[in-house]
Amino acid sequence: MGFLRNWPFLLRALGPAGPVLIVSLTMVRLLERIVPAVTALALAALVGVLAPPAAPGTFASALPPILVLGLVVLGGHAGEAAAAPLEYLARSRIDGAHRERIGRAASGSRGIAALEDTAVQVLLRQVRADPEHGVESTPGGGAVAALRWTCGLAGAVLTCAVLARFAWWLVPVVLVPAAANRYLRHRWSLTGADRWRLAIRGELHADVWRRASVSPGESKDVRVFGLGDWMVDRMQGHLVEANKPLWSHIDRTLRLQWLPLALVLAGLVPAYLLVTHGAVSGTTTVTVQTAVLAAGWSLYQALGSSADLFHMAGAARILSSTAELRRRLAAGGTVPESVRPEPFAGRVSMVRFEGVSFTYPGTDSPVLDGIDLEIRTDELLAVVGLNGAGKSTLIKLLCGLYRPTAGRVTADGVDVTAMPAERWRSRLAVMFQDFNRYELSAAENVLLGRAGPHDPEALEAAAEESGFAEVLERLPRGWDTPLSRGRTGGVDLSGGQWQQLVLARALYAVRGGGVPASLLVADEPTAHLDVRTEFALFERLARRRRETGIVLVSHRLSTVRRADRIVLLDGGRVTETGTHEELVALGGRYAGMFAVQAERFRTGPAGARGGEGSA
Amino acid sequence: MNRHLSLWCEVLRLSWRTAPGLTAGAYAAVAVSVAAVAAVGLSLRAAVDATAQGVAGTALLGAAGVAGAYALILVLHDLTAELVGTVSDRTGRMAVHPRVHRDINAVRGLEHLERGDFLDRVSLVRRSTGLIARSGWNAVLAVAHVLKLLVTVALLSGVDPVLLVLIPLAAVPVWCDHRGQRLVERAEVEGAEAYRVQQHLFDTLVSAAGGREVRVTGAADRLLRLRAGAWREAERVRFRARAFAALWTLAGWTVFVAGFTGGIALVVRLATEDTGGVGDLVLTVMLAMSLRQTMQSTVATAAEATGMRRVIEPYLWLRDHVRAERGRGAADGPAPDALSRGIALDGVSFTYPGTGRPALDEVSVLLPAGSVVAVVGEYGSGKTTLVKLLLSFYEPDSGRVLVDGRDLGRVSTEGWRARASAVFQDFGRFHTVFRETVGIGDLPRIRDREALRGAVRAADAGALLDRLPDGWETQLGRELGGTDLSEGQWQRTALARASMRGDPLLFVLDEPTASLDAPSEEAIFRRYMERARAHAAGTGAVTVIVSHRFSTVAGADLVLVMDRGRIVESGTHGELLALGGRYAELYGIQARAYAPASAPRE
Repeated sequence: MGFLRNWPFLLRALGPAGPVLIVSLTMVRLLERIVPAVTALALAALVGVLAPPAAPGTFASALPPILVLGLVVLGGHAGEAAAAPLEYLARSRIDGAHRERIGRAASGSRGIAALEDTAVQVLLRQVRADPEHGVESTPGGGAVAALRWTCGLAGAVLTCAVLARFAWWLVPVVLVPAAANRYLRHRWSLTGADRWRLAIRGELHADVWRRASVSPGESKDVRVFGLGDWMVDRMQGHLVEANKPLWSHIDRTLRLQWLPLALVLAGLVPAYLLVTHGAVSGTTTVTVQTAVLAAGWSLYQALGSSADLFHMAGAARILSSTAELRRRLAAGGTVPESVRPEPFAGRVSMVRFEGVSFTYPGTDSPVLDGIDLEIRTDELLAVVGLNGAGKSTLIKLLCGLYRPTAGRVTADGVDVTAMPAERWRSRLAVMFQDFNRYELSAAENVLLGRAGPHDPEALEAAAEESGFAEVLERLPRGWDTPLSRGRTGGVDLSGGQWQQLVLARALYAVRGGGVPASLLVADEPTAHLDVRTEFALFERLARRRRETGIVLVSHRLSTVRRADRIVLLDGGRVTETGTHEELVALGGRYAGMFAVQAERFRTGPAGARGGEGSA
Repeated sequence: MNRHLSLWCEVLRLSWRTAPGLTAGAYAAVAVSVAAVAAVGLSLRAAVDATAQGVAGTALLGAAGVAGAYALILVLHDLTAELVGTVSDRTGRMAVHPRVHRDINAVRGLEHLERGDFLDRVSLVRRSTGLIARSGWNAVLAVAHVLKLLVTVALLSGVDPVLLVLIPLAAVPVWCDHRGQRLVERAEVEGAEAYRVQQHLFDTLVSAAGGREVRVTGAADRLLRLRAGAWREAERVRFRARAFAALWTLAGWTVFVAGFTGGIALVVRLATEDTGGVGDLVLTVMLAMSLRQTMQSTVATAAEATGMRRVIEPYLWLRDHVRAERGRGAADGPAPDALSRGIALDGVSFTYPGTGRPALDEVSVLLPAGSVVAVVGEYGSGKTTLVKLLLSFYEPDSGRVLVDGRDLGRVSTEGWRARASAVFQDFGRFHTVFRETVGIGDLPRIRDREALRGAVRAADAGALLDRLPDGWETQLGRELGGTDLSEGQWQRTALARASMRGDPLLFVLDEPTASLDAPSEEAIFRRYMERARAHAAGTGAVTVIVSHRFSTVAGADLVLVMDRGRIVESGTHGELLALGGRYAELYGIQARAYAPASAPRE
């Protein structure tokens, strides 16, 4: 039985709950689990007092067992009542510690490739131990169940002792079918859980349409295209298909219910008949008979509930998946131990891509194919290219989020993957296209731009410079306003406001702890901004380029043209490089792209009755 | 209460229709479990009394009866739970689930999805269809518990009527427990915000999308600390409530056990005075013990019912909402076959519920049949609201939308939308196969290869299609084992979807090319302008383009410049430039940026 093998590991997982809590919980559970056996004994004692023809004063001698009976029942309830909060706390502490470990492991790997690995994401979903996220078992739940089960065994031992008062061989007569019954139910619940997980995976397809009914984006399409009923039919089709194996398993176990019934009867009928026969024929007393009759059946309950065994098995799986997850994350590369002396005193003056190629794991065609590129940290460099030309990948390599498949990225001659990640990244400030929207206060959202202690002055300065200060004035609680409608007193920012916040975040990072960052990387920073804001933002960025170099990725060539230097990525290589004027004069691909965009300002879009609007 | 009752009956009827065998089994299991309660006590008494009197036959029969009754109780305990669980689950999934979603989708407007309080209720209902089904069965279980209590009452009063006092005493722990559970529920809500924050931070830390920025900024440590803090905050609130609840529970049981012990003493007294036998004692103890279990189950059922009220109330609300909307008499006027005059807004005002400032403020304008209309303006100026009103997503607070003179409020919403098509800025990303994500743009032609190919061509998505590993049948979305698309690629699929309908009267493009590179944007605009002209020639269709890029809109027949919910300028591109107002100013900024030799570099 699998859960016997996992049992010690699960008990060990109780650790984070702390010794005081573990001891109290154990005592409380023991108290509660021995109730059926002790009740039977007290009842038997009472019957023993009364069984002989009643004599005067019998009532007085019956009082102690009556009191014991009352106390035992009360003790059982007290145990049950106290166990609820204690188990909650133990579960919560264990799961909290578990999630802390997972979070640390997942955010601790150097590159991002490991997290992008589908297998790793599947493992993460399995081990995230979040019951409010549809995860059935957690390490905390499993560990607490293991403790409960252990205490239940103590109750079972006591019950066996009651049975043994009649005859030792009565113990196996009841215990063996009880164990068989337990095992059978455990198997069924394990198979059920497997089928259930299968169904959940199948239901992901139904979720697509389920979400579509309520998400703001899809629901508009649903209404415009009249998808309502069609979608429901699709969804139900997926549900039936996904749940078929689970339901057929349940139907089967329901048809087989005569089996557990037979197992219970096989244990109880002979035991109860033998004891009664003994009592009638005088080989034993009515006291023993009463004890056996009242206690025997509880053995079937003492061997653990299906839910406990289920949680134990689930938690054991989580623990082994966690080990696997950590192995995979660690394989993703950690900081090399051979830490070199600080390669740059403060400012990096040159970042160089030297023949860098990169192919995404699991794909064949390289996204970058031998890139050679110099980035000076006192210029505004624009990177342009069509969708899918590799611009975002270039940025990820620059940040050391991937290791190049060939070639290297160096900062003042030192390979950036050979130094501790934090050291290199502290020289960078990055505005990602899909930046993080933390459901925290506005202040936290900016402060999370870099590690280290808070710098209130730099915070204000960053807000001022980015233009976020204007947004801030309109927030109900200023810096303390949570940026999520779901939080008390929280607000949602618009796309443009977020982008200004992200600029503030990057500028806060630029100011750094002491030494300003050397390079600010901006990936499509103006996609959600209107004209006026876009230009203001560009001006703000451009102003700082002498202290902090800027790498700007953008589709908007009207913005790009003002860069000091422009590189064009095409087919994974840098095909053109120069100033706007040089590239236009070159008459290559860039010139073509620019002409297309500029054309519309001279004649209006092609195909329109253009001409009326030359500027 | 009545509404709940009829909901329960409805759910049970649905169960019968969905799974008749299981439903019958569940009723049977519940009924037998009531009988088993009495069987245990009675056969125990018979066995013990007969043994004491030395009557072997009765004693053995009684013992076998005890074994049988216990076997039934043990098996039925699990079996009832399993049967009721699975019947509820299947009824929820197969019968309630589609109803709820049909109801949600039947609401014509968008209010219920855009207002936080509405959305909370809708999402709750949608995720809890199993619970709704369960609520009916919960009522059945409650009835069974009451029957068990009645059986117990009858048996106890047979021993001595004084013992009946145990029944009200047994209600004390139920009441106390209920008090405690209320504390726990309140704490669940109180701790929910901290818990959600914790969830969000965890997801950010472990996802690839969030992990990139976390790594580069070095924010991991701080995020971990904030997460742990939020977790502990939720834990603190919720533990405290559970501790108090435990005290309530304990107090309740103390009262009951005191009464129980007194009752036992009474029975013992009767036995010593020779008016009762030891069998009565055993019967009383066993009944009292099962009374405790019955009460506990009743408590659990009641607690569950409280939990379900949280789901049922919003569900009833949703049904009323839908019914009210249907009752208001859905307009059934037909949509016109073609437009001759155009679409007019006549003094239209609209304020989002719960906000103070009108999103549209007395807007009157004619979008002439056969024209391409561009709507420009800064963020929050009301552009998207305007097009949403054109598609009947909202009803104007005042004023009317007129389609060739017909009030849109009197035209069937479904009929009108069937003659429209749209791509929104936050277009849908349907993670299904590519063929379908495009094809749902025109359901009757979802399998029409020619239409699909045409739509893909119109959206310039041919290259995207060629790159998909399984072509048309490629599953989209990595979590479903398919292919992930980039932002720009999703946008193209949305454009293709919107191009499925052949002859729309209204075609809306809301910031359709934000994520596309210049040549793609250009290609797409050329195509859509051509399409617009073609539609216009056929049916007098109106194309509305919302954009903040001026390059996009210069070719429109009519440009509407919006500011704070009003149309502040309107005319052709040329007229607006000549006007020298806001449009000219904003256009100038962009145009200068593309001017040949005037690069404004420092």
